[in-house]
Amino acid sequence: MTDAASQQLFELWKRQFDEGVQAWSRLVSTSPATAPPDPAAFWKPILEQTTQAWARTFAQTPVTPDLLGQWKQFLDQSIDAWSRVLGQVMATDAFAQQLGRTLDQWLVAAAPAKKAAEQAVDGVLQSLNVASRSQLTAVARQIVELEDRIEGLEDRIAAVLKKLDEVAKAVTRQPA
Amino acid sequence: MGQERFADVVERFASGYAEAMASGVSPEDLKQWQEELERNVKRMKNLSQMVTDPVAPKVGQTPREEIYRKNKSRLYRYASRRTHRTPLLFVPNLGISRPYIFDLLPHGSFIEYMTEQGFDFYLLDWGVFGPEDNGLSLEDCVTRILPRMAAKALETAEVDEISVLGYCMGAPLSLSFLGSRPEFPVKNFIDMAGPVDFSRVGLFGLWLDKKYFNADRFVDTLGAIPADLIKAGFKLIKPTMDLSTNLNLWWNLWNDKYVEGFTALNKWANEYVAFPGEFFRQWVRDFYQENLLFRDRLVLGGRPVHLGAIRCPVFVVGAKEDYIAPPACVRALIDAVGSRDKEYVELPGGHISLIAGRGAAVHCWPKVAGWLASRS
Repeated sequence: MTDAASQQLFELWKRQFDEGVQAWSRLVSTSPATAPPDPAAFWKPILEQTTQAWARTFAQTPVTPDLLGQWKQFLDQSIDAWSRVLGQVMATDAFAQQLGRTLDQWLVAAAPAKKAAEQAVDGVLQSLNVASRSQLTAVARQIVELEDRIEGLEDRIAAVLKKLDEVAKAVTRQPA
Repeated sequence: MGQERFADVVERFASGYAEAMASGVSPEDLKQWQEELERNVKRMKNLSQMVTDPVAPKVGQTPREEIYRKNKSRLYRYASRRTHRTPLLFVPNLGISRPYIFDLLPHGSFIEYMTEQGFDFYLLDWGVFGPEDNGLSLEDCVTRILPRMAAKALETAEVDEISVLGYCMGAPLSLSFLGSRPEFPVKNFIDMAGPVDFSRVGLFGLWLDKKYFNADRFVDTLGAIPADLIKAGFKLIKPTMDLSTNLNLWWNLWNDKYVEGFTALNKWANEYVAFPGEFFRQWVRDFYQENLLFRDRLVLGGRPVHLGAIRCPVFVVGAKEDYIAPPACVRALIDAVGSRDKEYVELPGGHISLIAGRGAAVHCWPKVAGWLASRS
């Protein structure tokens, strides 16, 4: 099979995809007053179409290992196309808004759960006379602060030593 | 054939090999089939090993010494023959991922490559921060940790000037440092896939827009931004990534070299690192939402940050298919700095393709080393 055949496969897929999108649009834009959509009715023609497309492809293709390479290429192109479509959807304000809303809802649920879990774990640890996470964190924070202070002292000592060095040099340069 | 049932087709396809053999297949086809069969056997062998007895990849093998440590952060020196006098300080991203991607595997390591080219390489590993570091802000990193590490690198190398390379978030962080401290002796600056104009930063810019994303609420509720949340964000930005990665793995599973590289890269790609809360708050607010660095409005440690104050030679590398730092937002640095010697290149591939993988070794690393060599 050649690149042309691969392109043909891709065109086929593209056509299916376009038809799928149109079908979904029709499905979504259906007014609620009408009967609920039947998913099987939507998927059946697509499945049949896909089946036939593959069948045609296999029928036209000599059975050689090249077919596997074409199959891989076809999947790559399909994934790439899906990626582009999803990228376009995710680049909309509507998606960003929905994502923000979902995260906010998650936070609203997560905050009390996190607090309750922390309190419960702290309670258990306290009853076992073991240091809790918050206590260990406080100790670690103090160590970090101590390290900062030591570093500050090191800097000051280095500055003082530098000045002393400059003074010593100046003194040795002066004639006796 | 038109209406042939799919099951019939599959059966015909499956039995195609036997039929082809029976009907007298050409020697080329036969050879191809044999190769394919051998590949499949190797695929199964490697797959079973990956599942039942996975080998931990040996990453970060280039010899190094720790020069300095401050809290969780470390400064490492990778020594070279030092054919170039000016050493290179490498500033990667803080949080998100670990920096061993820059020294992934022997013969596939940016650090190893740069040391082979004669650059003494200093890596700033920001480290993995814990809940005790939730108060660590971006300002602390830029005004306290980064200057100290840069000074230690200068001191250790016994030189008066140093080149700085910022990768990804490391670029705006080091630019903030250099823009607020123009007196710091930096000889060259390289921005590799580092966003600068956050109004053109793509999907993350949209999702983190202040209309939709409340960073304060996140930090106040969670304290730190957990690694799993960061992972979810990066997976979402390219939802088909795992699919194509696994497809490519299957396709190349017969190739031991590929499997070795995949295992190492996959380990890195799934090892996310949390953000300290205050750092994340400031990063999202000042950079993604307000774009203060590019708008010349950023003030850190009481000092204004001016990109125009950076006058050293600047080299900017963007990646054509980078969806984390799209080329436009990286390229913006060229017009913002005050340097006369400045150059922008756009290379094929994505964000990681600049730093790891075969493409990086072919397209990116020689360009970076070449540009730097003539100025070091």
